[in-house]
Amino acid sequence: MSTAIQTTGLTKVYDEKRALDSIDLAVEEGSIFGFLGPNGAGKTTTLRILTGLARATSGSVQILGRDLSTAGNSMRSEIGVLPDVPGFYEWMTAEEFMRFAGRLFGIGRSVIDERVGVLLDLAGLTDVDTKIGGYSRGMKQRLGVAQALVNAPRLLLLDEPTSALDPMGRKDVLDMLISLRGRTTVFFSTHILSDVERVCDTVAILDHGRVVAQAPIDELKARYGQQKVVVEVTGGADELAAQLGQQSWVSAVVRGHNGRIEVTVTDVGAAQQQIPAMIASRQLGLSRMEAGEMGLEEVFVELVGGVQS
Amino acid sequence: MSGFAAFAGKEAREIPRTWRIWVLPGILLFFALTGPALAKFTPQILETFAGDQFKGLVLPTPTYLDAYGQWIKNLSGIALYALIIIYGSIISSERKSGTAVLVLTKPVSRTAFVVAKAAVHSMFLAVLVVAGTLITWGLTAAVFGQAPGSALWSSAMVWLVFGVLFIALMTLLSVIISSAAGAAGAGLGVYALVSIAAIWRPLGAYSPAALASQPTSLAAGKDVAVLWPVLTSLLLAVLLVALAAFAFRRKDL
Repeated sequence: MSTAIQTTGLTKVYDEKRALDSIDLAVEEGSIFGFLGPNGAGKTTTLRILTGLARATSGSVQILGRDLSTAGNSMRSEIGVLPDVPGFYEWMTAEEFMRFAGRLFGIGRSVIDERVGVLLDLAGLTDVDTKIGGYSRGMKQRLGVAQALVNAPRLLLLDEPTSALDPMGRKDVLDMLISLRGRTTVFFSTHILSDVERVCDTVAILDHGRVVAQAPIDELKARYGQQKVVVEVTGGADELAAQLGQQSWVSAVVRGHNGRIEVTVTDVGAAQQQIPAMIASRQLGLSRMEAGEMGLEEVFVELVGGVQS
Repeated sequence: MSGFAAFAGKEAREIPRTWRIWVLPGILLFFALTGPALAKFTPQILETFAGDQFKGLVLPTPTYLDAYGQWIKNLSGIALYALIIIYGSIISSERKSGTAVLVLTKPVSRTAFVVAKAAVHSMFLAVLVVAGTLITWGLTAAVFGQAPGSALWSSAMVWLVFGVLFIALMTLLSVIISSAAGAAGAGLGVYALVSIAAIWRPLGAYSPAALASQPTSLAAGKDVAVLWPVLTSLLLAVLLVALAAFAFRRKDL
């Protein structure tokens, strides 16, 4: 499968600060790609370079098979962009802005007529006649998503697309992104990990300007899921949890309901041998013992050292 | 310059739907409506307010040329200051509000973005100057009974070139300086330098600096050679807009 976005050694330096440090990304065409990272990790800087708003200090970017530095404006006709805080002309109505956006893409009037109706309906703004200046942040965000789709893009670049939306608005936008799977490549940054788990095929996690992980989401979770053991005992769980917490091969212990204990381990082999022995020596009943799966949030916290965006 | 027409259309529609339709047009309309009457009744006004202070001073009888002079002095003074201040944010306001990002992530070149703004607002200024001059012309005829057109129109059109030059200058300053107040301050500083530079004869005869004073001379009915200053001003305006586009292309947004 071809790549929609390929960055090689992408670096951006502001004065003394290295905002991006040799980033290599490969986003497959047709995929939904989640771009995660704590505040200041470099997500928005990456998106600004991908959209041509900022220049990389070094490295290369290929968008839809073309080199970004030489592709010119024509390449943008195949891309839809939603910035983190979209800025609109507040004197326009939503329909006027959509038509304006369509004209900037050079789209014919009949096609604009057709798409504006569909996209405003999708954004829930069909009957809203007020000027954009009177919109809530959520309404502007929904209009931002709609305008990013006016050219039926091959590649959609979204910076925090659901951050200002209420739960229903979020669901609508995520459903819309899912409906684009296979037809449009979606690359979006977000701090809402549940959104990523719900819609993304692949994720990259950025920390201090470096990509610390990039993999299909199931592979990433499975890779880290091997380091977690879930134990359920019939009694004495608190004492057992305390004993586990003192072991050198245990990095974290979380007490669950009843006799459930989640143990994050650095050595799975040691855990498999010693946990049953500890339970036997305490003469406790073992109800369950299995390898657990880490959620994306736990993977994220582990990879970026507990700092979340 | 892809996207030029669509973006220029937006820029033109924005004028009547925002504060832009009130400020500069309001200032010019006020001066156009009041200038001829003020010129006609200046001696009476002075007499009323000054009383016996200017007893020995004999003021000449006002003529239509005084009305023309009033219009051009207002254009060269307050109207030009207002223009500099208003257009101090012609580019930076779009960067700050985030609208430039939404436009420039579509197939619109940064050159088209800058040129469209300078072109549309130059056209807007031309419409305002022509409308204000027409009003001044008509009211001068009504107040003074005569209003030959050549002195008024030649001075107004030469000032328009000067105004367009300053729109081009403010476009460049607004790209370079992100603060609207900073760009306006720099624009006013350039105006002060241009006015001083016009004292030096070669600059006062051939360069754009001449246009700081020549419109007033033309309005007074004097014969002034304006060809070189007009040509160099138009050339400089084009260069300033080109420089603005070049600088804007190199900026991170």
